[in-house]
Amino acid sequence: MKDEILREIGKFIIPFIQMFGIYVIFNGHLSPGGGFSGGTVLGVSLILHRLTEEPHRASTGISEKAVIGFMCFSLMLYGILKGYSFISGGGELGLLEIPLGTPGRILSGGMLLPLNIAVGVIVCFTIYTFYTLFDKGEI
Amino acid sequence: MKKILSVTLTIVFIGILLFALSECPEFGNISNPANNYVSHRYIDQCVKDTGAINIITGIILDYRAFDTFGESIVLFAAAISVIVVLNKSREQV
Repeated sequence: MKDEILREIGKFIIPFIQMFGIYVIFNGHLSPGGGFSGGTVLGVSLILHRLTEEPHRASTGISEKAVIGFMCFSLMLYGILKGYSFISGGGELGLLEIPLGTPGRILSGGMLLPLNIAVGVIVCFTIYTFYTLFDKGEI
Repeated sequence: MKKILSVTLTIVFIGILLFALSECPEFGNISNPANNYVSHRYIDQCVKDTGAINIITGIILDYRAFDTFGESIVLFAAAISVIVVLNKSREQV
């Protein structure tokens, strides 16, 4: 896009949007929010970069391979973590249980934080992929 | 012969499923478990069970994590199919 004002304001505001998205994901088990909403905010910040930056500099450096790799990794991480907690739940098999920690801390709630991050990564890349592919036809 | 076999198998499976359904509690009955202690248990025991202060996260990522897994798979499948169908750089190769 050619507009100078939009580009400068975008440069200024995008880091704050990304920080807010990460905050929403990491506080998903403490305050309203979580993987879905935080991932949406992160994806929207990437889309805003694509919209405001000049065409030859607009690439976010995310390749198709990286998108597929991150999404597969997050999905498998989710499946493995949650599958383990399904098997070890109840503590009758004597497997190692993840401690729940003090409620109210960031590092508490057992598996909830990594699961939120996995969901957030999937949602972020889905939204970014949808925008770029329906708009220009390449990531 | 194959047709008769498949029809018979289908009828048998439908019968088994309907028989299992007849054992379920009646829809909308006041004394059903879903209308009584499930929601109370979620509200009372959530912090102790999951360690999450936000009850919604505790429910969607712990009690009903398998449902959220399905949602993530839907998003993943949609993104992968869009990449396969609409990616222009892939056609030139």
